[in-house]
Amino acid sequence: MQYELKTQVIEPQRSTFTHLVNRYGDKPASRYLEGSVGVQPREHFHYRPTYDPGKELYDETYSVFRLSDPYSFLDPRQYYYAPYVTSRSTHHEAFATSLQYIEDRGLLERLPQEWKDLLGELVLPLRHLESAGQLILCGMARFGYGSTVTQAAAFSGFDRVGNAQILSRLGIALAGGTADLLAEAKTHWLEDEPLQGLRRLAEYTIVEKDWGIALLHLDAVDQLLYDLLYRHLDDEAVTGGAPAYSLFAQHMSSWFADNRKWIDALHKAWRADEELGATNAGLIAQHGELAMDQALEAVTPFAARVDELLAVGAVDRVTARAAEVRQTYAADQA
Amino acid sequence: MSESTQTPTSSRDVGMILQESEDNRPIIEAIEEDNPECSISHTPGLVRITAPGRLVVLQESVEEKLGREWETHEFQMSIVSYFGNIQEWDDDEIVIAWDH
Repeated sequence: MQYELKTQVIEPQRSTFTHLVNRYGDKPASRYLEGSVGVQPREHFHYRPTYDPGKELYDETYSVFRLSDPYSFLDPRQYYYAPYVTSRSTHHEAFATSLQYIEDRGLLERLPQEWKDLLGELVLPLRHLESAGQLILCGMARFGYGSTVTQAAAFSGFDRVGNAQILSRLGIALAGGTADLLAEAKTHWLEDEPLQGLRRLAEYTIVEKDWGIALLHLDAVDQLLYDLLYRHLDDEAVTGGAPAYSLFAQHMSSWFADNRKWIDALHKAWRADEELGATNAGLIAQHGELAMDQALEAVTPFAARVDELLAVGAVDRVTARAAEVRQTYAADQA
Repeated sequence: MSESTQTPTSSRDVGMILQESEDNRPIIEAIEEDNPECSISHTPGLVRITAPGRLVVLQESVEEKLGREWETHEFQMSIVSYFGNIQEWDDDEIVIAWDH
């Protein structure tokens, strides 16, 4: 008796959703594409918003930055709920490990006084700036057009809560397990002269109606602050006997690098748009220039205070960084 | 790109068999794009890619499709089998060909 084993191949009825087949061809699509592309509601809006009757509930014209095909933007990290949550959970566990090490070794107590002052007076108050960032990105998630864009914005908004939490945990550890320093940080945020420019700019950006412009403003500030605090000062901390600061800074700078990916991709999509690319490039140049002017104006007093505490050339650093970022806003950037 | 543009001296088919999974799909897509002459056949759970003389896997294209950093040694996790000789297995590319 001879048996012959054969595999019987059962072809699936369809590879993926029809709208994805029309867009990418008849092949299986990734979970990211299936969960993100074409989810934006486009019709059957019953009422116009009472606060803006000239627009639909979901409308492409909530920003001057538009894409003729909203799905020409894809998040390069391909985050949908599950990978995003997994990635951030890993990120925060890594921070918890670092913090545990810092506490076990008593590294915070051993920080030089000027570094403690820097953290208490300038870094911890940025929890409130992160909170502003969350509101700005939530606004973008609500008023943006195209589910790939709004999804990336929503995740980034949640990231800001996470960043604020990292700052809070560090503040609690620095105050020996109490919230005293966090309360002081709020007073610094509300009253200290070097922080008022940032607070003013944050509040203006929260109420900016155009989500694209608001994102440019938030990003301009991030570019200067994150570079100064978590790259430049990280280098200084390594040589300046502040290992605790360096251990904390690495988590902020790795988040910043990850967050850059979707913003850079969005700028690229804006510029590459077949119909609107030239218009968008002009808008990026115009609004980016303005955003960077205001960001530099707000960050310079902050950097000057950093220099008073540590003398690390912070003002020069943010000025140089602002010039670098301006280059990327120029209209002829491909 | 000097390696990748080199024409193989033997045009006998080389190929590789990869596991078909959500994680490997971007890698397969990258190989498909980098090797215009390749042909792909699907069997349940496996994907067989063959090409005359040479197949290349470029780190850069895989990273672009995956949306994250990818090191060529991670290819070990995807590959089930191959035929041909591994000519290069560097940080930036993997080349399978008959000639060394």
